[in-house]
Amino acid sequence: MEPLDQDLEEGELELPAEPMMLNMGPSHPAMHGTVRIVVELSGETITKADVQIGYLHRGFEKMCERGTWTQCYPYVDRLNYVSPMLNNVGFSLAVEKMLGITVPERAQYYRVALGELARICDHLTCNGAMAMELGAFTPFLWYVRAREMIWDIFEEETGARVTHSFGRVGGMAKPPTAYFKDLVRATLPRVASVVAESEGLLLKNRIFLDRLESVGKISSADALELSWTGPCLRSTGVPYDIRRAHPYLVYDRFEFDVPVGTTGDNYDRFMCRQEEIRQSMRILEQCLEQMPDDGPIDVDDPRIVMPPKNEVYNTIEGTIQHFKIVMEGIKVPAGEVYSYTEGGNGELGFYLVSDGSGTPYRVRIRPPCFAITQGLERLIVGAMIPDVVPTFGSMNMIGGECDH
Amino acid sequence: MNQTGTSFGWVEVVLAIVKILIIIGFCLNFSAIAVWADRRQSAMIQHRVGPNRAVVNLPSFIVQGILVAPGILLGALAALGLGQAHTPQAAIDRMGVSLQLIVLVGWFNLVVLSWRIHRKGALNAFEQAVGSNLPRAYFYAGLAAHVVVGLLTMGLSRRVADGQMSADGAYLAARIASVVLGGLLGASGVYAALRIPKGTVGIRLAGTLHGIADALKMMFKEDFIPKNADRLLHALGPMIAMFPALVVMAVTPFGDQLCFQDVNHNGAFEFSELLRVKGAMARDAVCEGHSVPLQIVDLNVGILYIFAISSTGVIGAAIAGWASDNKFSLLGGLRAASQMVSYEVAMGLSLMGLFLIYSSLRFNPMVQWQNDYAWGIFIQPLAFFMFLAASMAETKRVPFDQPEGESEIVAGYFVEYSGFKFGMFMAGEYVEVLTSSALIVTLFFGGYTLPFLFADGIDVTIGSTQLFAYKMNHLAVTVIQILTFFGKTLLMSWVVIFFRWTLPRFRYDQLMKFGWTKLLPLAILNLAVTAVGVVAIDAAGPGLHATLKLLGQLSHLLVAIGILLMPIGIVWLFLRPVESTRFLKSSSARFANAAGGVKPTPMQA
Repeated sequence: MEPLDQDLEEGELELPAEPMMLNMGPSHPAMHGTVRIVVELSGETITKADVQIGYLHRGFEKMCERGTWTQCYPYVDRLNYVSPMLNNVGFSLAVEKMLGITVPERAQYYRVALGELARICDHLTCNGAMAMELGAFTPFLWYVRAREMIWDIFEEETGARVTHSFGRVGGMAKPPTAYFKDLVRATLPRVASVVAESEGLLLKNRIFLDRLESVGKISSADALELSWTGPCLRSTGVPYDIRRAHPYLVYDRFEFDVPVGTTGDNYDRFMCRQEEIRQSMRILEQCLEQMPDDGPIDVDDPRIVMPPKNEVYNTIEGTIQHFKIVMEGIKVPAGEVYSYTEGGNGELGFYLVSDGSGTPYRVRIRPPCFAITQGLERLIVGAMIPDVVPTFGSMNMIGGECDH
Repeated sequence: MNQTGTSFGWVEVVLAIVKILIIIGFCLNFSAIAVWADRRQSAMIQHRVGPNRAVVNLPSFIVQGILVAPGILLGALAALGLGQAHTPQAAIDRMGVSLQLIVLVGWFNLVVLSWRIHRKGALNAFEQAVGSNLPRAYFYAGLAAHVVVGLLTMGLSRRVADGQMSADGAYLAARIASVVLGGLLGASGVYAALRIPKGTVGIRLAGTLHGIADALKMMFKEDFIPKNADRLLHALGPMIAMFPALVVMAVTPFGDQLCFQDVNHNGAFEFSELLRVKGAMARDAVCEGHSVPLQIVDLNVGILYIFAISSTGVIGAAIAGWASDNKFSLLGGLRAASQMVSYEVAMGLSLMGLFLIYSSLRFNPMVQWQNDYAWGIFIQPLAFFMFLAASMAETKRVPFDQPEGESEIVAGYFVEYSGFKFGMFMAGEYVEVLTSSALIVTLFFGGYTLPFLFADGIDVTIGSTQLFAYKMNHLAVTVIQILTFFGKTLLMSWVVIFFRWTLPRFRYDQLMKFGWTKLLPLAILNLAVTAVGVVAIDAAGPGLHATLKLLGQLSHLLVAIGILLMPIGIVWLFLRPVESTRFLKSSSARFANAAGGVKPTPMQA
């Protein structure tokens, strides 16, 4: 018999073990937007991760090449389905850049107002869903209730709650309703109180903070290397916000702060979004203050904007105009353009190529999530399975725009 | 006396079976209620519709019968003179109870009626008059009436004792009061029955049927077993998980003891004696007839039995996780096993201080000690919080629900279970909630006792001054004790369930760290401090003992006041102005419409 105190080499006593491979997703409660993460586990610690996207690929770019420029709007609605209005605005600006036109001032303010409302929706959903996946179900439903109030405004303005298809080249589909300002002014304090209340429930909770702080850390250099943008980049301390760095529409007329984080962990991303909700409200207040109550909403160019229904039915010019725009589309001069706006998750860019016809030759999107999702692997290797949930949640990956 | 000591009484066997049925019935029924409470709470916190879809459609004549029957029965009993009191004093007591019931029925009916009128409109002039006041006005008026009636009864009782009121008068007053009670019940029953529409009536019972409907649904769902699963262990898992949850209740006392008279003086307990409950018991008296302890078994190892059995619960989760042939359930099983084993240690150690103080491991002496001195939560508050945390971890409730953390490992160890096997896991979890609440109640909240309620009735004595005393008979005290125990358990489980809706869950390693590096050292520290304290108090003189006893009585007084104020608080919460809840439910469009009328109609866009 061997002596019991015999010196054994380290590792000799351990049972032979091989790492466990675990498929998280594409159908998994925390993998919203159908992404698949294949993780290699040692215990619960992730030693290797493989993030696989593409489960929501719908050929959006190819589909855009089949219709007219205006017919792209329903597709761009479904890119980031949490804040469709921002996509609508971004795409309109891209096409208008190519046409070399600027929409009237009232339409610019209107776009800013609707866009900021959509941004609040986006951040509410992201932060709420993240809290829910950590097990705090109540704040999620409160956030969604606040989002519901904003969706009510959208419903009143556009007729649709989620996929509005409300943008148009050269303006908006409809002018703002008579009570738009009152509605927004009545709603914002309510949203703010819900946000503050939910924040109190979460940020005073040690468990919640422990789950977020110094989890999923990334340095600003790494984030820039991965070409991150939006709240995820700002959480690392880089104050890059397109609304401030390259102002479009009328953003240069508003006073607002660009919240930045320090460490780039989940907590910073969460707090950046919380603060941006408040900044959006600030912008909205100033926007409503400055927005003219009347004036044209569309550019005065019959080649771009549809004539009113009255003229279509009663005048030959109107009928022809209507026919040309519907059947042939808006004639965009040949060339290419890259236009970028601040979407819910960061820089939402559209690279458009036109051959001069009424149909896009090529529509290429630069979705913010695509770059951000690249970094997920780096953030979760070395962490534990439960850390995947808040890290992935705070990135706010939206399958619709990521799988383009 | 029992000569041989080995005689076998069938009565004891029947009584034991009855007790087991009571406990199992309580656990299973109230696990359904706990499920309901869980959903109801979430609906309250998150401002959404709770469980309300399960419905039983009864023909309206049955509903009308249910409404009318109690009044007619009670009225008939009173008119026939059944249940006549034997002494004038008892008659006055009975009159007092009837009057309080009249007031209770009166304000309750008015509150319900007024609430309905406010929601659905008045039918006639009477209802308009009732509806002109808010429901809470009737409640407060009812409270005042309760106090007035109580004072009146006390005054009459004193007059009878002094002989200023004739015995016939007392009997007549009792008779009239019960006739009025029957009449009131009958009248309100008839009025309610008249409001029942023709056809069928959907009975929802505030959504409590939902749990039962869920259980039925689960029985009929497909029982899916993964292809490569171990079929035997897969089927065994839920059973092993549910079994310990049920059997830990075996040693928990739900009442003191029921004492029967030994009518035939032969020492053997016979069925005929079951009806002869002892009339009155003296305080601290030993039962001279047949004593039936109100717990299934009174083991001398007491709580050690609970630790032993509840630690086997982990086997069910671990087996289920292993046998399902799924990596998520394997992870869940592993988490469950390590978590439950770790927290077992802290759970046991956190109670050691209490055992030193109670100097017993059996439950009955513990409860008696708390009744004599003070509730466990006052003498060991730290132990209470530690035990609460540890028992939440044992029952795998939020924030310790890693084994099933749905956003991480889908559903953990029961991810591959469906149908009734899943139902057993779920029922097992809620039964565990109930049993752990029962344990907490027994150890920290006085078990089946109420402050100042003794075997011979109510006796409020602070120091050496008696403030209030009221004699009660043995059966009444026992019934109150049983109701107290189950009521406290339900209240405690409501609290335990409540954590779920406000807390996120720990990470797995944080949880382990919390258990081993915070709870365990704290529990040991608590034990050490308590041990020193117990030795010091034992060594101290009688002066300190008297002071401590007085402090204990003051804590009882505090609890008693709390118990009296609690129903008022609850009703106040439920009867808050209606506008506040409606405000929260409104969407912004409707809100804007109500606030300033910025939109002509909500749909006019």
